[in-house]
Amino acid sequence: MNTTFVGLELRRVFRDYVTMFFIAVLPGFFYMIFGAAQDFAGERAGSGNVTMYIMISMAAYGAVTATTGIGGMAAVERMQGWGRQLGLTPLRDATYVAMKAMVAFAVAAIPVALIYVLGVVTGAEGTAAAWALSAVLVLVGAAVFAVYGLAVGLAFRTEAAVSAASGLLVIMAFLGNIFIPLSGTLLTVAKFTPLYGYVALARYPLTEGFGVDGVQEPLWQAVANVVVWAGIFGAVATALVRRGRERQ
Amino acid sequence: MKTHSPLPAVDVRRLEKTFRAGPDRIAAVRGVDLRIEAGEVVALLGPNGAGKTTTLDIVLGLTRPTAGSAEVFGQAPRVAVNAGRISAVLQSGGLLRDLSVRETVQMVASCFDRTRPVEEVIARAGLSPLATRKVSKCSGGEQQRLRFALALLPDPDLLILDEPTAGMDVGARREFWDTMHADAARGRTIVFATHYLEEADAFARRIVLMAGGCVVADGSTADIRARATGRTVSADLPDQDTAHAVETLRRVHGEGAVELSGRRVSVRSVDSDAVARALLVDLGGTDLEIVTGSLESAFLAITGAEGPEAERTSG
Repeated sequence: MNTTFVGLELRRVFRDYVTMFFIAVLPGFFYMIFGAAQDFAGERAGSGNVTMYIMISMAAYGAVTATTGIGGMAAVERMQGWGRQLGLTPLRDATYVAMKAMVAFAVAAIPVALIYVLGVVTGAEGTAAAWALSAVLVLVGAAVFAVYGLAVGLAFRTEAAVSAASGLLVIMAFLGNIFIPLSGTLLTVAKFTPLYGYVALARYPLTEGFGVDGVQEPLWQAVANVVVWAGIFGAVATALVRRGRERQ
Repeated sequence: MKTHSPLPAVDVRRLEKTFRAGPDRIAAVRGVDLRIEAGEVVALLGPNGAGKTTTLDIVLGLTRPTAGSAEVFGQAPRVAVNAGRISAVLQSGGLLRDLSVRETVQMVASCFDRTRPVEEVIARAGLSPLATRKVSKCSGGEQQRLRFALALLPDPDLLILDEPTAGMDVGARREFWDTMHADAARGRTIVFATHYLEEADAFARRIVLMAGGCVVADGSTADIRARATGRTVSADLPDQDTAHAVETLRRVHGEGAVELSGRRVSVRSVDSDAVARALLVDLGGTDLEIVTGSLESAFLAITGAEGPEAERTSG
């Protein structure tokens, strides 16, 4: 493993205060406002309480913001000629992808760690298994959105497009049942949007599929959502990589 | 640098590359043969779209040819890159703006098994005073010297420069070439693509002229000049027989090649020796002078109407 390379990549992200604000500080702030500070915070949710439920949601939002940005910037950097520069070294494409993925997971772990610590302090309750499993699912699932960022970066090749992709996550988060609990028709539509399955899956160890309305949703729905969207993002990114290669 | 081998630094044979552009296919390179020996300093000259960058990309293993082959010191380009035998200073772009100069060198160095020390290449590119500066705050010339530092990391036997001074002002260009001169003296093989004729003239001993995806001329700078326009031979003619002498010359060398201004006649010809002999011996000319045409006119003559963007002020 190339620790110098990964270390420098991490240093780049940490030095970018604006990005770090959106990745870590903002989701942490959301958690405090929408979660810890609310009257219903202590109410039961699944095997724990609502604070825990919102904690997982906001950690997921922070994690996807991180992976979308890193995936997107990786694509833009390569398109803008950094890929050619690295092409003059023995570095393999697969190694590059692995190192970027490592960076993305490391950065995504920041909001998760921060918000989970806030959760401990502000009274989030759940089983030990729910704490551990939800954190793992948040991190692993966020990889899908690294591919989403990658696809946008490959398609538009600008930093502005990557920022727009991160901005779109806010809308996806509303539709994904992250910020406020949805119901009725909106909830039905929401089940088909990209963030819905991911966050539902991450909360599953806590809720076992039960929503705030008390209705239990089968696990396969969340899994199917994640699998389908991962497939869509992956197919688009692959097609765009091929297009880019042909034109070079 | 590693050992000098008898194998050619670059051996390109019947190279072809076509790109797909919508429904059409565009031929960027159509049958290039090029052999460059170890230790040569060669300029690859040609207008935009001549196929220079594509050819160099193939030699660097960044692009695969549609047909034909390219070898670097007898190896496939990618193998030569992995062994650190070939490196390049690429055209603009390709740096991470939020890294410092030293961090950029460290990052690229980390991709190799073995390199020259980071501080050494920074010093050789004249970047030591700027090592902590962010790439985004470096001028175009400073960024180019950073790319040069990166190219020095594997201590390559063959260094490719793809329009290394495009977009630089005159001062920065001179500074860059001063750095390169110092490096070429160490015996590295250097191939550079350029738009600037004066750079090719000043720095290369051999010029390969490309146009429309083909090599249209290949030789020393003097060869290339002579090939296009020949040389111009001028002399003062004796007062009495001027008209007769001009007529004789026009008959032999063509109407357009002979000009008369007062008593002084000038003749453009590929065979300047024959003209000189005729002028001195047969026609009684005096004060003879032989001048080689400018490289620029050679370039125009060989590549056709489109000239190099020699004086283009880009950036």
